[in-house]
Amino acid sequence: MKILIVGAGQVGSTIVEALHDEHELTVIDLDQARLNALGHRFDVLTTEGNGASRRTLQDAGIADADLLIACTSRDEANLVSAMLARALSKAKTIVRTTNVEFLDVWRERQLDVDFVVSSEVETATAIGRIIGMPNAKQTDVFADGQVEIVEFDVPVDLAHGETIGLPLREARIPGESKVASIIRGEQLLVPRGHESIMPGDRVIVIGSPEAAREWSGIVSQAAAPIDDVVIYGAERTGVALARVLLDQGIRVRIIEPDTARARRVAEELTGARVFQASGLDPDFIDRERIGQTGAAVFAMRDDEINLYAATLARIHGVRFTIAVVDEPASVAVLEHAGVDVAVNPRSVTAEEIVRFAHDPRVRQMTMLEGDRYEVLDITVREDSELVGKPFRELPMTGSLIGAIVRNGSAVFPHGDDMLLAGDRAIIFTESSRTARVERVL
Amino acid sequence: MTALGVDVGAALNLIGALLRYLSLAFLVPAVLALGYDEPVWPFAVSGVITAAAGVGLGAMTHGRERIGPREGFLIVALVWLLIPAFGALPFLLDEPQLSNPMDAFFEAVSGFTATGATVLTDIDALPKAMAMWRQLTHWLGGMGIIVLAVAVLPRLRIGGRQLLESELAGPQEVERLGATIRETARRLWVLYIGLTVVAILALASLGWSGADPAMNLYEGVAHAWSALALGGFSTKNLSLAAFQPITQWVILGFIVLAGINFLRLYRVIVQRHASLVARDEELRLYLTFLVVGSALVLIEVLAGGFLSGAEAVRSSIFQAVSIMTTTGFATSDYTRWGALALMTLLVLMFIGTSAGSTGGSIKVVRHLLVWKLIRRELTQTVHREEVLPIRLSGAVVDERALRSVVIFFPIYMGLFALGAVLLAIDARRSHLALGAFDAIGAAAACLGNIGPAFGFAGPFGSYEPFSDLSTGVLTGLMWLGRLEIIPVAVLLSRRYWRA
Repeated sequence: MKILIVGAGQVGSTIVEALHDEHELTVIDLDQARLNALGHRFDVLTTEGNGASRRTLQDAGIADADLLIACTSRDEANLVSAMLARALSKAKTIVRTTNVEFLDVWRERQLDVDFVVSSEVETATAIGRIIGMPNAKQTDVFADGQVEIVEFDVPVDLAHGETIGLPLREARIPGESKVASIIRGEQLLVPRGHESIMPGDRVIVIGSPEAAREWSGIVSQAAAPIDDVVIYGAERTGVALARVLLDQGIRVRIIEPDTARARRVAEELTGARVFQASGLDPDFIDRERIGQTGAAVFAMRDDEINLYAATLARIHGVRFTIAVVDEPASVAVLEHAGVDVAVNPRSVTAEEIVRFAHDPRVRQMTMLEGDRYEVLDITVREDSELVGKPFRELPMTGSLIGAIVRNGSAVFPHGDDMLLAGDRAIIFTESSRTARVERVL
Repeated sequence: MTALGVDVGAALNLIGALLRYLSLAFLVPAVLALGYDEPVWPFAVSGVITAAAGVGLGAMTHGRERIGPREGFLIVALVWLLIPAFGALPFLLDEPQLSNPMDAFFEAVSGFTATGATVLTDIDALPKAMAMWRQLTHWLGGMGIIVLAVAVLPRLRIGGRQLLESELAGPQEVERLGATIRETARRLWVLYIGLTVVAILALASLGWSGADPAMNLYEGVAHAWSALALGGFSTKNLSLAAFQPITQWVILGFIVLAGINFLRLYRVIVQRHASLVARDEELRLYLTFLVVGSALVLIEVLAGGFLSGAEAVRSSIFQAVSIMTTTGFATSDYTRWGALALMTLLVLMFIGTSAGSTGGSIKVVRHLLVWKLIRRELTQTVHREEVLPIRLSGAVVDERALRSVVIFFPIYMGLFALGAVLLAIDARRSHLALGAFDAIGAAAACLGNIGPAFGFAGPFGSYEPFSDLSTGVLTGLMWLGRLEIIPVAVLLSRRYWRA
């Protein structure tokens, strides 16, 4: 595919890094230095200029491009790029936005763009998932959130129960889910009926969001899920996160030092409690019993301040801390310093864009465990040899059909269900088998 | 003299225009007087004097038509003094019971402010045209003279909003029903007229069908005007006790309706947004107050054996509703009831109707907001930093509006106390036998634009025993109460007048 990328910032570079192998990329940016840096690292074409200008887009070859990714930090510029691309070519368009309203407008089909990604919303949903399942190593969603793939580490000292320690055919497995893989040390186990999940294993599970949460309960020691969260900072990410959490039925407290912003957020979010205070004030943290909260999210502007506030919160007893960071390097720094999870909105955004930019038939693709496993989202061909066979007759190999999306809603197949042409199959497979899976389907 | 910051000429110019319109209103009693073969001249003379004053003011201040927000306060304050002053002319000219100018002015202020307090001792003796003029003053003042002016006078397209806000009841900004403030004022009056017509037809048909022999078109109009304005004047000494229970129930229904925010009523009745009502916190509290107040009075009336059976139920509900909605109609002499009933009625006097209705007193929404402020204050004593915007039916209320609500309570209660004390002082001076509770009641009933109080000023009584000084104090309270004090209080500040 020929892809035009407008914007060579953090998001743009991450996308380039992910796509440069398979596609022909042209990067547009106003800053020649950034372009040079990218051009040295990767085999891409670069054009210096304004991506919202027709001349620049034409120079970069928009006419025969297949995809335009507008991912500068300026919403309006991104939209103009996409509108121009629409007029000048048949390319599909992806727009990055920081404004949640654009996302809503797009969902109502009033923006003529193929895909809109909001860093704030993506980050908020990612953090929302982490809070929903704090012991999950990695979570990925497919089919508009109807299917989740989650990796759990089973604690070494977890007692055997209805699920753990029993052969899978006898174990209690949440209905809308399947065990995709069991990793024991260096060993990969295909989860056949006689295998069992043991303490210390890492398990990969495919299922509905509810089932994933059930799994989270099964493999965690602290049974109580997180039901209240303190968010530091009422910037856009903080507010978007508050909305996501309130939707999940989680109680939310927001701490924001700026008077006007605190007031605005308090007016906007009916469900959340807003405090106009500095999260760096130990008296305040003590008085409001912040230490007893289930989780705290640090979404203030400066990474350093987030780190300081998170450390202070941990001293006061907060068990689970998540930070939203600005600099790519901060992820490692904060996690090293003891923050449980650090999320970089730009890399979350880039990942989301990359997923869309992959092969159009393969809707989404995720790597798990480094690159040992891949998750594919494939539409089943009519002449596939698997069409019409009940699932019980399919061989157990290193690949597993975890879920089927049929007419827009997810089905978690059991023995009698059959694969039909046109189904979207969410497939978990060892990376070595990817090509075979694609061929068979 | 230093330069004035207020254009008094412009204010007077507008008042002149309003007086010219008021002169037309005298046509109604004049025509009635012709029909009933009663003296026409009092109304003709009043009309001519009012028109002449209007023309004179207009000529003196020719061309000063531009009014700004500052002039608004002066206009509203003056309008509500001058309109009743001219409206009192027929009383002064040809009503023996009101030959004292102070009494005539009291009666007219009571009429236009839809209070319903009277210094008459024999209402039945009034000529029909004179009695109807009294009722008409209620109806004209009920929805608001300024609201009418904004609806009618093209020049109020500019500056009309501030004017309307200083007159329309309640602490909040006026929500717009139409594209312009003028359209909003028009729609309010259209709704008011529409409801009045419905009420007239409902009442008159009770007479025509024979359900109530005392009712007819004349009485229907008279009482519909009084009911929708939440006034309380009647054409009878016995007030509504002169009519059948069915009539009393019908009027009760219209009173409850008129106590609701007209802006809300318009959306529900005309624009059919019924869901607005279900979510309206003020309306729910208004109805709750009515139910609880009625129940307390009923308990006293039944337990004390003052009335029994259906009459007890009807009269208890009617008195509680009539007092709380600041109407003042009576079906029974509640002054003979016991302490629980009287205390309840006194407390109800301080509640009032919804904002944007034709009623007076403190208004339900202010009680609601103060309650929310108290709750917020309590929360913030524990959680100092918590930001808690106050919402009313889901919408955030501006902090400035909240402050004015908080300020309103001490001003209102202070004026009430001052009024009651002044009445007591004057009673001592003029050797009037006035009980403490009666002084309290009279001050509360006038400030809240309710009308009947306790003691001799009760529902079937009269304010006639009060001296001129006391009547003057009570007139002032009615005036202040109708304008919700602030627009008048502003005039007392020196900064208002300076450039």
